Amino acid sequence: MCAGLVALLAARRVWVGYPPPPAHVRVLGRREFGFLTAAADTVFPPGGAISASGSDAEVAERTDVWIGEVAPFLRVLMRLLFFLVEHATLFFPAPGRRGFRRFSSLDAAQREAVMSGWAESSLGPRRLVFESLRAVLTMSYLSDPAVLRELGVAPRDIEPGYCEADLLFPPIGHGPDAIRIEPEDLRDVEAPATLACDAPLDPRYAAPRA
Amino acid sequence: MSVSAGEVRVFAQYADDVVETAEVVVVGSGPGGAIVAKELAERGRDVVLLEEGPPFSLDDLEIDPALSMSRTMRESGLRATRGSVMPTMQAICLGGGSLVNSAICVRAPDFVLDEWCERYGLTKTTRADLDPHYSAVGRFLGIAPTPDEVQGRRNLLFRQGCDALGYSSEPISRNVRGCRGSGECFTGCRARAKQSMDISAVPAAVRAGCRVLTSARVERVTGSADRAEGVRGSIVEPFTGRVAGRFEVHARRVVLAAGCMATPVLLEKSGGLANRSRQVGRNLRFHPGVAIVAGFDEHVDPHFGATQGYQSLQFLRDGYKLEGLWAPAAVLAVRTRGFGHVLKERLAQLPHSAVWDAIGSCNRSIGEVRVRRRGLDPKLLWRLHPADVPILARALYTLSEIAFAAGAHSVVTGVPGVPTEFHSLDDAQVLRNRSFRPSDFQTGGNHAFCTTRMHGDRERGVVDEFGRCHDVANLYIADTGVFPQCPSVNPMWTGMALAHRTAGLIAESL
Repeated sequence: MCAGLVALLAARRVWVGYPPPPAHVRVLGRREFGFLTAAADTVFPPGGAISASGSDAEVAERTDVWIGEVAPFLRVLMRLLFFLVEHATLFFPAPGRRGFRRFSSLDAAQREAVMSGWAESSLGPRRLVFESLRAVLTMSYLSDPAVLRELGVAPRDIEPGYCEADLLFPPIGHGPDAIRIEPEDLRDVEAPATLACDAPLDPRYAAPRA
Repeated sequence: MSVSAGEVRVFAQYADDVVETAEVVVVGSGPGGAIVAKELAERGRDVVLLEEGPPFSLDDLEIDPALSMSRTMRESGLRATRGSVMPTMQAICLGGGSLVNSAICVRAPDFVLDEWCERYGLTKTTRADLDPHYSAVGRFLGIAPTPDEVQGRRNLLFRQGCDALGYSSEPISRNVRGCRGSGECFTGCRARAKQSMDISAVPAAVRAGCRVLTSARVERVTGSADRAEGVRGSIVEPFTGRVAGRFEVHARRVVLAAGCMATPVLLEKSGGLANRSRQVGRNLRFHPGVAIVAGFDEHVDPHFGATQGYQSLQFLRDGYKLEGLWAPAAVLAVRTRGFGHVLKERLAQLPHSAVWDAIGSCNRSIGEVRVRRRGLDPKLLWRLHPADVPILARALYTLSEIAFAAGAHSVVTGVPGVPTEFHSLDDAQVLRNRSFRPSDFQTGGNHAFCTTRMHGDRERGVVDEFGRCHDVANLYIADTGVFPQCPSVNPMWTGMALAHRTAGLIAESL
């Protein structure tokens, strides 16, 4: 009976209490989404030198899109990484009261302390775990148009320079009938027009967040 | 339905299995394979060019770096070596690495070619032998120094620092026409200025009648141990790799140009072909790369300007080459240390930063490409040799020196155990005075070589200096795997020059 209760409590700490992710999240489960949101807000907290937090930059949503495109075995590795960091505090507690909880259930100060533990560990593999997680979060954070605009490094609008090859290759997934470029669309690329620092942004990066 | 002369077949067009016959089949459409296909087709030979990846139209080029890497790179751009863990990227698309590299073209220096000849029993790979091939490729691709108009401040600061110290520097020669300095080389040039193989050599080959099968993954070279008869493999869906059919190409000559990771795997999967020397897959070498982020008071706007526009070749004999660099902010930021507000503050400095890198000619750091039991992705074993570590430390010191000479107020190297930021050259002395371990350096290894190396002695190399396999008379290799050692500079032009020479040899033999 006692063992059963302990098992139930343990299972609750691992599996229960995650809010459902937004409907458009396709690949990540609710636990993974919950963890990524917590981790993103620890690595990119609100305020400071860049205004957007990890949540504001929709890091978990962007990671969902990315993880949907990576090779299946890498997807497994990424999921294992998330699982490891989320649940390591069930065995190696965070400092302070109620430290024996999963990462996403800790308070902000505890999460920061746990993340420091990974980042500054004397053990190389632990640091590698942190660096891998931070790499995933950073890739997604810096894919956010608003963050890129704030940093001033958002891609600029570039007039496409159609060339002979564009008469040969249809968009991926389509046959040659989908080629929309005509020979008269080709232009001379020998005469460069240097892109100006104040050139308009690429439309995908120009729209302010709704 | 057979493929017509001058046709490019894409995944959506495959209705049945494909069987083709040609004089020459070329496996891989990167810089080596595309040049071979173009040269042979233009000489009137009947050529089939095979590429596992799809062609990328302008609509397919993705600016988001994570998605771009997932779509254009093998193993979603997350491939890494074991031993010393180092990311290394190989492309899977028509045009191969040329679609997503920064178009740097440098001839291998004299001392490198001299050493290759002397140590590997080569007699026809001197400067005089290769220069005509470099020139022919250079003329075709419009290889020329990057003009000042598209350098951007980041590259010009590099020149300024070199000038202040009296170090030689020069604009990087690139295969571009009409570059606008958008700094987007790594995700594919939306301006179509970069003359990547998919928009240069492949269309030229097609114009000359070459048949191109994309989404065609070669799984085996057919024939006997002494004679290749062609190749066979699967038609695979872009990005998912789902098998949708089979193909077979019969040919009198087979050219493998799948890259120095994939070619040895293909040879091994073909029953240990061309491996009496036992050198297939061995001798794997890289140019490990390290980088600094230099902070300036002025607005550098580092994302403007040629991705890599300026270089210094002064230290080649010391084992390293220095370059200006830009990559998508997300990729560069991955190496930024810390987290939380500290990380945000560092990232916020990006508009005031210049990123410069060094590639090390680490010939003592040798690895191996191993075959996995299932699939064609290689297992890469490689270790940074302790004796090569000082090369990288010296390179970082020299980059720091250049940065401070150019007026930087800070330099970040990302090396653990040294101050996170140097604020003066005195701080950077630690790079000269301390001894480092291989694990102290976060390196990237995107130039890879030597896994099917050329050697004058058939017992010690896989191919001769013309790319012809010692053991299989009609089998050729035309990628950077044939290099016997690191070329000390960016390898693409040398790879294409050697491929150009190999094409000539094949044409004569038919």
